[in-house]
Amino acid sequence: MNTALKDLRPVYVVGIGLHPYQKPSDTPYTALGVHAIRAAIEDAGISWADVNSAYTGTATTAMGMSRLMYRHLGATGIPMVQVENASASGSTAFRQACIEVASGLTNVSIAVGVDKPLGAKMPQRAAGIRDLGGSRVAPFTHFALLANRYMHDHGATPEQFAAVAVKNSKNGALNPNAQRQKARTMEEVLAPPQISGPLTKLQCCPIGEGAAAAIVVSEDALTQLGLDRSRAVRVLSSASRSETVYEGENFDAALTRETTAQALSETGLKPSDLDLIELHDAFTMEELLYVEAMGLCKEGQAASQLVEGQFDIGGRVAVSSSGGLLSMGHPIGPTGIGQICELTTQLRGEAGKRQHANAKKGLAHMVGVGAVCVVHVLSV
Amino acid sequence: MTNTAIHPGLYDPYNPTPALNGTRCEKCKVNYFPPLGMGCERCGNPDLRSVTLSTNGTVHSAAMVHLHGGKDIDAPFVVVEIALDDGPLIRGLLANNTNDDVIGARVSGQWMKRVDDDGNVSVEPRFITDAESGESL
Repeated sequence: MNTALKDLRPVYVVGIGLHPYQKPSDTPYTALGVHAIRAAIEDAGISWADVNSAYTGTATTAMGMSRLMYRHLGATGIPMVQVENASASGSTAFRQACIEVASGLTNVSIAVGVDKPLGAKMPQRAAGIRDLGGSRVAPFTHFALLANRYMHDHGATPEQFAAVAVKNSKNGALNPNAQRQKARTMEEVLAPPQISGPLTKLQCCPIGEGAAAAIVVSEDALTQLGLDRSRAVRVLSSASRSETVYEGENFDAALTRETTAQALSETGLKPSDLDLIELHDAFTMEELLYVEAMGLCKEGQAASQLVEGQFDIGGRVAVSSSGGLLSMGHPIGPTGIGQICELTTQLRGEAGKRQHANAKKGLAHMVGVGAVCVVHVLSV
Repeated sequence: MTNTAIHPGLYDPYNPTPALNGTRCEKCKVNYFPPLGMGCERCGNPDLRSVTLSTNGTVHSAAMVHLHGGKDIDAPFVVVEIALDDGPLIRGLLANNTNDDVIGARVSGQWMKRVDDDGNVSVEPRFITDAESGESL
């Protein structure tokens, strides 16, 4: 029988830190990661010696990379492990840290996402799987196929897809850690270069580098370390699933629907109870697909509701208040933990100009090629 | 002169018309393409048998690719997702590179041949709509 996070010890996010997402540079991953870790430690008001374990979400950098980074904080001998789960690597590292604290193995764990795009290979190639599309079907074409089918089924328009990037660029312009910090107009988003199907360059996320860190603690640690409870954000649930057989239904949507439903059912919340959602909007059409799969609206309605402003900061539910993958960026390993940083900032009421008023419940969602999906629900 | 499959193992390049090498789980009555070699995704049955699948099907989606980093083909080209009459949802390329407004169209595979400077021929199935099927590739 499986056990849900809610059946174990409560887990709280008490410290977050980011290295701004940016274009690939000469900055070593160690510098990116240490920057984010020190920021998280300072935010939590603890010392590195208080941290009992470390999980590092990474997918594109190198094997055995943890200690070369963490040693700069002081070699305390804590257990450390890399977690690779494609785009959901950071989310999975965060989940592992939460599970470790919830189970009682440790009281303080850190999840860090760090990556530089040094050399990722698609898993199908390593598995020796060939098909007629081969390397001609890049990820953006996978989602272009979904976009064209969505337009066919629901009468959506290229402008409605582009509206996702317009909204998220507006949010990203308010986020100092975002890779793209410029608000874009509809004309700019629709402008060439065309990439695949209806997707233009600004409807595809930038893959860069960066780091994100989140420190999770137990109730005991809150007391023993004298931490500020008013800034502690509870992790209500953690769900992780992999693709199964969906008999013709799109697997990205089906997997998101299943995993989100599991995460919400463990909390007793409904989709309509959510104030914030950070989701895997690597391509504009994904936001529409996943908002519907999560149950925020009926199938085929996301495009019109987005244009109405329902997913804006200040709207019914703020979707990708960070700017999402489209504007904040998608450095792979950090991305899922960056979502936790954004939800924590918002739920604390510390998001400044991009603050979604009265935010109490937030959901973070990542999918990863393979395919996997990881969803967390956070609350104050 | 020999024919070489651009995608080895997925089809017989000497067939007069393209057909696909798939596998079948007799427990689930399901065909797979690309062929699953080691077990059925639905039930785990390790005893899959080889089957030949028709390239006839209906276009589920299509997208014109404008940007491609590889050297094997020049953009633009059209990727199609096809629900084969024999079951699997597969991806391939349209023979026609100018139109991706083909969702719902009936298609079938036709050989596309490449001949290099030494006269070596490599082939792959590309898909054409029934409306285009009278045209030679």
